[in-house]
Amino acid sequence: MKGFSQWFHGQDLNSSYGRIYRAGAPLAGSEASRPSGTRCDVHLDLPLACFITALAIGVCVEALAWALRLWRYRSPIFPLINILLVFGLIEGLSVGWFVGGRDALRGVFPVLFMAGAVLGILIEGLNEFWLHAWSWSARPLLGVRRSIDKAAFVGVTWGFVPLLTVLLARLLMTLSVEV
Amino acid sequence: MTAPKVSVADRLHAAAFAIGGSGLVCAYWIAFFHSDLTLPNFVHNLTSPAVVKLATVYMGFESAFPLADLFVAVTSALAAFYLVGQDAKAVLFGLVASGALGFLAFIDISFNLLHGLYAPATLFRDVGLQMEALINVSCLVGAIWSIWRLWSHPLRRAEDRPSRLLDGALGVDAAEAGR
Repeated sequence: MKGFSQWFHGQDLNSSYGRIYRAGAPLAGSEASRPSGTRCDVHLDLPLACFITALAIGVCVEALAWALRLWRYRSPIFPLINILLVFGLIEGLSVGWFVGGRDALRGVFPVLFMAGAVLGILIEGLNEFWLHAWSWSARPLLGVRRSIDKAAFVGVTWGFVPLLTVLLARLLMTLSVEV
Repeated sequence: MTAPKVSVADRLHAAAFAIGGSGLVCAYWIAFFHSDLTLPNFVHNLTSPAVVKLATVYMGFESAFPLADLFVAVTSALAAFYLVGQDAKAVLFGLVASGALGFLAFIDISFNLLHGLYAPATLFRDVGLQMEALINVSCLVGAIWSIWRLWSHPLRRAEDRPSRLLDGALGVDAAEAGR
Protein backbone atom coordinates (compact mmCIF):
# COMPACT_ATOMS: atom_id res chain seq x y z
CA MET A 1 0.00 0.00 0.00
CA LYS A 2 1.80 3.12 -1.15
CA GLY A 3 -0.44 5.76 -2.68
CA PHE A 4 0.08 9.12 -4.30
CA SER A 5 2.30 10.84 -1.73
CA GLN A 6 4.85 8.05 -1.67
CA TRP A 7 4.90 7.80 -5.44
CA PHE A 8 5.21 11.55 -5.85
CA HIS A 9 8.12 11.98 -3.47
CA GLY A 10 9.77 8.72 -4.37
CA GLN A 11 10.25 7.75 -0.77
CA ASP A 12 8.33 5.97 1.91
CA LEU A 13 6.28 8.49 3.84
CA ASN A 14 4.10 5.98 5.63
CA SER A 15 4.01 6.98 9.24
CA SER A 16 3.31 4.86 12.24
CA TYR A 17 1.41 6.17 15.23
CA GLY A 18 2.93 9.35 16.54
CA ARG A 19 5.46 9.63 13.75
CA ILE A 20 4.75 12.24 11.18
CA TYR A 21 6.74 12.99 8.09
CA ARG A 22 6.39 15.83 5.65
CA ALA A 23 7.85 15.04 2.26
CA GLY A 24 10.16 12.49 3.75
CA ALA A 25 11.45 14.73 6.54
CA PRO A 26 10.23 14.29 10.10
CA LEU A 27 7.82 16.98 11.24
CA ALA A 28 9.11 19.21 13.99
CA GLY A 29 8.08 17.78 17.31
CA SER A 30 7.60 14.22 16.13
CA GLU A 31 9.50 11.42 17.79
CA ALA A 32 11.78 11.00 14.79
CA SER A 33 12.89 14.63 14.87
CA ARG A 34 14.08 14.59 18.47
CA PRO A 35 17.81 14.68 19.04
CA SER A 36 19.07 11.38 20.37
CA GLY A 37 19.42 11.37 24.13
CA THR A 38 16.57 13.79 24.81
CA ARG A 39 13.60 12.31 26.59
CA CYS A 40 10.03 13.49 26.49
CA ASP A 41 7.57 12.31 29.10
CA VAL A 42 4.57 13.83 27.36
CA HIS A 43 3.75 11.51 24.50
CA LEU A 44 0.77 12.34 22.36
CA ASP A 45 -0.21 10.15 19.43
CA LEU A 46 -1.68 11.81 16.38
CA PRO A 47 -4.96 9.80 16.51
CA LEU A 48 -5.44 10.89 20.12
CA ALA A 49 -4.52 14.47 19.24
CA CYS A 50 -7.09 14.41 16.39
CA PHE A 51 -9.76 13.04 18.74
CA ILE A 52 -9.07 15.64 21.45
CA THR A 53 -8.91 18.50 18.94
CA ALA A 54 -12.19 17.46 17.33
CA LEU A 55 -13.83 17.26 20.77
CA ALA A 56 -12.57 20.77 21.54
CA ILE A 57 -13.96 22.07 18.23
CA GLY A 58 -17.27 20.34 19.05
CA VAL A 59 -17.47 21.95 22.47
CA CYS A 60 -16.75 25.40 20.96
CA VAL A 61 -19.36 24.95 18.21
CA GLU A 62 -22.05 23.71 20.61
CA ALA A 63 -21.31 26.52 23.09
CA LEU A 64 -21.55 29.10 20.32
CA ALA A 65 -24.80 27.59 19.01
CA TRP A 66 -26.22 27.55 22.53
CA ALA A 67 -25.20 31.19 23.14
CA LEU A 68 -26.68 32.35 19.83
CA ARG A 69 -29.68 30.00 20.19
CA LEU A 70 -29.17 28.61 16.69
CA TRP A 71 -30.55 25.13 17.39
CA ARG A 72 -31.88 23.20 20.33
CA TYR A 73 -31.68 19.53 21.22
CA ARG A 74 -34.64 17.31 22.07
CA SER A 75 -32.72 15.80 25.00
CA PRO A 76 -29.77 17.16 27.04
CA ILE A 77 -27.81 13.97 26.26
CA PHE A 78 -27.84 14.61 22.49
CA PRO A 79 -25.20 17.39 22.46
CA LEU A 80 -22.85 15.08 24.36
CA ILE A 81 -23.48 12.29 21.86
CA ASN A 82 -22.95 14.76 19.02
CA ILE A 83 -19.63 15.98 20.42
CA LEU A 84 -18.32 12.51 21.28
CA LEU A 85 -19.61 10.51 18.35
CA VAL A 86 -19.90 12.90 15.41
CA PHE A 87 -17.18 15.45 16.20
CA GLY A 88 -14.72 13.18 18.03
CA LEU A 89 -15.05 9.74 16.49
CA ILE A 90 -16.45 10.34 13.01
CA GLU A 91 -15.12 13.72 11.86
CA GLY A 92 -12.01 13.89 14.05
CA LEU A 93 -10.67 10.36 14.31
CA SER A 94 -12.19 8.59 11.29
CA VAL A 95 -11.99 11.36 8.69
CA GLY A 96 -9.34 13.65 10.19
CA TRP A 97 -6.76 11.12 11.21
CA PHE A 98 -7.53 8.37 8.69
CA VAL A 99 -7.51 10.69 5.67
CA GLY A 100 -5.18 13.48 6.70
CA GLY A 101 -3.18 12.28 9.65
CA ARG A 102 -1.12 9.43 8.26
CA ASP A 103 0.82 11.03 5.44
CA ALA A 104 2.12 14.30 4.13
CA LEU A 105 -0.68 16.84 3.92
CA ARG A 106 0.17 17.81 0.34
CA GLY A 107 -2.92 17.61 -1.84
CA VAL A 108 -5.11 15.91 0.74
CA PHE A 109 -6.96 19.03 1.98
CA PRO A 110 -9.78 18.82 -0.58
CA VAL A 111 -10.33 15.16 0.33
CA LEU A 112 -10.58 16.06 4.02
CA PHE A 113 -13.17 18.74 3.29
CA MET A 114 -15.00 16.48 0.82
CA ALA A 115 -15.36 13.56 3.24
CA GLY A 116 -16.28 15.84 6.16
CA ALA A 117 -18.92 17.74 4.18
CA VAL A 118 -20.48 14.61 2.63
CA LEU A 119 -20.75 12.96 6.05
CA GLY A 120 -22.06 16.24 7.48
CA ILE A 121 -24.81 16.51 4.85
CA LEU A 122 -25.72 12.87 5.52
CA ILE A 123 -25.96 13.50 9.29
CA GLU A 124 -27.96 16.70 8.83
CA GLY A 125 -30.27 14.88 6.40
CA LEU A 126 -30.82 12.00 8.80
CA ASN A 127 -31.73 14.48 11.54
CA GLU A 128 -33.84 16.74 9.34
CA PHE A 129 -36.00 14.00 7.82
CA TRP A 130 -36.00 11.14 10.35
CA LEU A 131 -34.25 11.49 13.72
CA HIS A 132 -35.23 15.02 14.81
CA ALA A 133 -32.61 15.00 17.58
CA TRP A 134 -32.21 18.75 17.19
CA SER A 135 -34.35 21.47 15.63
CA TRP A 136 -33.59 24.91 14.26
CA SER A 137 -34.68 28.09 15.96
CA ALA A 138 -36.57 30.77 14.03
CA ARG A 139 -33.44 32.96 14.05
CA PRO A 140 -31.84 33.22 10.58
CA LEU A 141 -28.43 31.62 10.15
CA LEU A 142 -26.26 34.00 8.06
CA GLY A 143 -29.35 35.00 6.13
CA VAL A 144 -30.65 31.44 5.70
CA ARG A 145 -34.19 31.14 7.03
CA ARG A 146 -35.72 27.80 6.04
CA SER A 147 -34.95 24.79 8.22
CA ILE A 148 -34.02 22.56 5.24
CA ASP A 149 -31.60 25.20 3.91
CA LYS A 150 -30.02 25.64 7.34
CA ALA A 151 -29.45 21.88 7.53
CA ALA A 152 -27.84 21.87 4.07
CA PHE A 153 -25.67 24.88 4.89
CA VAL A 154 -24.48 23.44 8.19
CA GLY A 155 -23.93 20.08 6.46
CA VAL A 156 -21.43 21.69 4.09
CA THR A 157 -19.66 23.54 6.92
CA TRP A 158 -18.99 20.15 8.58
CA GLY A 159 -16.23 19.90 5.97
CA PHE A 160 -14.13 22.36 7.96
CA VAL A 161 -14.10 20.11 11.04
CA PRO A 162 -11.63 17.43 9.82
CA LEU A 163 -9.58 20.11 8.08
CA LEU A 164 -9.19 22.18 11.26
CA THR A 165 -8.79 19.02 13.32
CA VAL A 166 -5.74 17.82 11.39
CA LEU A 167 -4.08 21.23 11.31
CA LEU A 168 -4.66 21.89 15.02
CA ALA A 169 -3.76 18.32 16.03
CA ARG A 170 -0.40 18.58 14.28
CA LEU A 171 0.16 21.94 15.96
CA LEU A 172 -0.83 20.42 19.31
CA MET A 173 1.68 17.60 18.84
CA THR A 174 4.44 20.02 18.00
CA LEU A 175 3.64 22.13 21.06
CA SER A 176 3.22 19.12 23.38
CA VAL A 177 6.76 17.95 22.58
CA GLU A 178 8.23 21.43 22.90
CA VAL A 179 6.66 21.76 26.37
CA MET B 1 -39.50 18.60 8.91
CA THR B 2 -40.49 14.98 8.32
CA ALA B 3 -39.46 13.12 5.17
CA PRO B 4 -42.02 13.83 2.43
CA LYS B 5 -43.27 11.10 0.12
CA VAL B 6 -40.57 10.37 -2.41
CA SER B 7 -41.22 8.41 -5.60
CA VAL B 8 -39.18 5.27 -6.32
CA ALA B 9 -37.46 7.01 -9.25
CA ASP B 10 -36.46 9.94 -7.04
CA ARG B 11 -35.19 7.55 -4.37
CA LEU B 12 -33.04 5.85 -6.99
CA HIS B 13 -31.83 9.21 -8.21
CA ALA B 14 -31.00 10.36 -4.66
CA ALA B 15 -29.17 7.08 -4.03
CA ALA B 16 -27.20 7.54 -7.25
CA PHE B 17 -26.19 11.04 -6.18
CA ALA B 18 -25.34 9.99 -2.63
CA ILE B 19 -23.51 6.76 -3.43
CA GLY B 20 -22.08 7.42 -6.89
CA GLY B 21 -21.57 11.17 -6.86
CA SER B 22 -20.48 11.55 -3.24
CA GLY B 23 -19.57 8.27 -1.53
CA LEU B 24 -17.56 6.66 -4.32
CA VAL B 25 -15.81 9.91 -5.19
CA CYS B 26 -14.66 10.25 -1.55
CA ALA B 27 -13.65 6.57 -1.44
CA TYR B 28 -11.69 6.93 -4.69
CA TRP B 29 -9.61 9.84 -3.39
CA ILE B 30 -8.97 8.27 -0.02
CA ALA B 31 -7.72 5.18 -1.88
CA PHE B 32 -5.70 7.36 -4.25
CA PHE B 33 -3.79 8.98 -1.39
CA HIS B 34 -3.40 5.91 0.80
CA SER B 35 -3.13 2.87 -1.48
CA ASP B 36 -2.20 1.61 -4.92
CA LEU B 37 -5.72 0.50 -5.78
CA THR B 38 -6.53 3.35 -8.13
CA LEU B 39 -3.18 3.55 -9.91
CA PRO B 40 -2.71 1.98 -13.35
CA ASN B 41 -0.02 -0.67 -13.75
CA PHE B 42 2.19 1.40 -16.04
CA VAL B 43 2.87 3.83 -13.18
CA HIS B 44 4.66 1.01 -11.31
CA ASN B 45 6.57 -0.39 -14.26
CA LEU B 46 8.87 2.48 -15.10
CA THR B 47 10.79 0.62 -17.77
CA SER B 48 11.91 3.49 -20.00
CA PRO B 49 12.36 7.30 -19.83
CA ALA B 50 9.23 7.68 -21.98
CA VAL B 51 7.13 5.73 -19.44
CA VAL B 52 8.64 7.73 -16.58
CA LYS B 53 7.67 10.94 -18.34
CA LEU B 54 4.15 9.68 -19.04
CA ALA B 55 3.74 8.48 -15.45
CA THR B 56 4.87 11.87 -14.11
CA VAL B 57 2.44 13.72 -16.38
CA TYR B 58 -0.36 11.26 -15.49
CA MET B 59 0.19 11.59 -11.73
CA GLY B 60 0.40 15.37 -11.97
CA PHE B 61 -2.83 15.43 -13.97
CA GLU B 62 -4.65 13.09 -11.57
CA SER B 63 -3.51 15.00 -8.50
CA ALA B 64 -5.22 18.14 -9.84
CA PHE B 65 -8.65 16.50 -9.61
CA PRO B 66 -9.45 16.42 -5.84
CA LEU B 67 -10.52 20.07 -5.64
CA ALA B 68 -12.81 19.70 -8.66
CA ASP B 69 -14.17 16.42 -7.31
CA LEU B 70 -14.85 18.13 -3.97
CA PHE B 71 -17.28 20.36 -5.87
CA VAL B 72 -18.94 17.33 -7.48
CA ALA B 73 -19.17 15.39 -4.21
CA VAL B 74 -20.67 18.28 -2.22
CA THR B 75 -23.20 19.33 -4.90
CA SER B 76 -24.19 15.66 -5.40
CA ALA B 77 -24.75 15.24 -1.66
CA LEU B 78 -26.85 18.43 -1.64
CA ALA B 79 -28.86 17.20 -4.63
CA ALA B 80 -29.57 13.91 -2.82
CA PHE B 81 -30.46 15.82 0.36
CA TYR B 82 -32.93 18.11 -1.41
CA LEU B 83 -34.38 15.25 -3.48
CA VAL B 84 -35.22 13.38 -0.28
CA GLY B 85 -36.75 16.61 1.03
CA GLN B 86 -38.63 17.07 -2.29
CA ASP B 87 -37.34 20.63 -2.54
CA ALA B 88 -36.89 22.55 -5.81
CA LYS B 89 -33.21 23.09 -5.02
CA ALA B 90 -32.67 19.40 -5.86
CA VAL B 91 -32.93 20.33 -9.53
CA LEU B 92 -30.46 23.19 -9.17
CA PHE B 93 -27.82 21.17 -7.31
CA GLY B 94 -28.51 18.07 -9.39
CA LEU B 95 -27.90 19.90 -12.67
CA VAL B 96 -24.78 21.58 -11.28
CA ALA B 97 -23.40 18.25 -10.01
CA SER B 98 -24.25 16.37 -13.21
CA GLY B 99 -22.76 19.09 -15.40
CA ALA B 100 -19.56 19.13 -13.36
CA LEU B 101 -19.36 15.32 -13.41
CA GLY B 102 -19.80 15.21 -17.19
CA PHE B 103 -17.18 17.93 -17.63
CA LEU B 104 -14.64 16.05 -15.50
CA ALA B 105 -15.38 12.80 -17.32
CA PHE B 106 -14.76 14.45 -20.70
CA ILE B 107 -11.47 15.97 -19.51
CA ASP B 108 -10.29 12.59 -18.22
CA ILE B 109 -11.36 10.77 -21.39
CA SER B 110 -9.69 13.43 -23.53
CA PHE B 111 -6.42 13.13 -21.59
CA ASN B 112 -6.41 9.34 -21.78
CA LEU B 113 -7.20 9.31 -25.51
CA LEU B 114 -4.57 11.93 -26.37
CA HIS B 115 -1.87 10.07 -24.44
CA GLY B 116 -2.71 6.67 -25.92
CA LEU B 117 -3.88 5.24 -22.61
CA TYR B 118 -7.13 4.03 -24.17
CA ALA B 119 -5.36 2.30 -27.04
CA PRO B 120 -6.69 -1.30 -27.08
CA ALA B 121 -3.22 -2.80 -26.55
CA THR B 122 -2.62 -0.66 -23.45
CA LEU B 123 -6.15 -0.97 -22.13
CA PHE B 124 -6.36 -4.78 -22.35
CA ARG B 125 -3.26 -5.45 -20.26
CA ASP B 126 -3.78 -2.78 -17.56
CA VAL B 127 -6.49 -3.44 -14.95
CA GLY B 128 -6.03 0.06 -13.48
CA LEU B 129 -6.80 1.67 -16.83
CA GLN B 130 -9.79 -0.63 -17.33
CA MET B 131 -11.14 0.57 -13.98
CA GLU B 132 -10.54 4.15 -15.04
CA ALA B 133 -12.38 3.57 -18.33
CA LEU B 134 -15.28 2.09 -16.37
CA ILE B 135 -15.33 5.12 -14.06
CA ASN B 136 -15.23 7.51 -17.05
CA VAL B 137 -18.13 5.75 -18.79
CA SER B 138 -20.16 5.54 -15.56
CA CYS B 139 -19.64 9.26 -14.88
CA LEU B 140 -20.68 10.18 -18.40
CA VAL B 141 -23.74 7.92 -18.51
CA GLY B 142 -24.76 8.98 -14.98
CA ALA B 143 -24.37 12.68 -15.80
CA ILE B 144 -26.41 12.44 -19.02
CA TRP B 145 -29.14 10.36 -17.38
CA SER B 146 -29.30 12.75 -14.44
CA ILE B 147 -29.52 15.88 -16.61
CA TRP B 148 -32.16 14.25 -18.81
CA ARG B 149 -34.26 13.27 -15.78
CA LEU B 150 -33.93 16.59 -13.93
CA TRP B 151 -34.73 18.57 -17.08
CA SER B 152 -38.37 17.51 -16.90
CA HIS B 153 -38.56 16.90 -13.16
CA PRO B 154 -41.79 18.07 -11.47
CA LEU B 155 -39.73 19.99 -8.91
CA ARG B 156 -38.39 22.25 -11.60
CA ARG B 157 -40.09 25.61 -11.16
CA ALA B 158 -42.64 26.55 -13.80
CA GLU B 159 -41.14 30.02 -14.30
CA ASP B 160 -37.88 28.33 -15.33
CA ARG B 161 -39.72 26.46 -18.06
CA PRO B 162 -41.24 28.89 -20.57
CA SER B 163 -42.73 25.97 -22.51
CA ARG B 164 -44.89 25.10 -19.50
CA LEU B 165 -46.07 28.68 -19.11
CA LEU B 166 -46.86 28.75 -22.81
CA ASP B 167 -48.78 25.48 -22.53
CA GLY B 168 -50.68 26.89 -19.58
CA ALA B 169 -51.53 30.10 -21.44
CA LEU B 170 -52.62 28.15 -24.50
CA GLY B 171 -54.73 25.91 -22.31
CA VAL B 172 -56.50 28.96 -20.82
CA ASP B 173 -57.01 30.46 -24.30
CA ALA B 174 -58.44 27.21 -25.60
CA ALA B 175 -60.76 26.94 -22.61
CA GLU B 176 -61.96 30.50 -23.12
CA ALA B 177 -62.44 29.85 -26.85
CA GLY B 178 -64.49 26.79 -26.08
CA ARG B 179 -67.01 28.71 -23.96
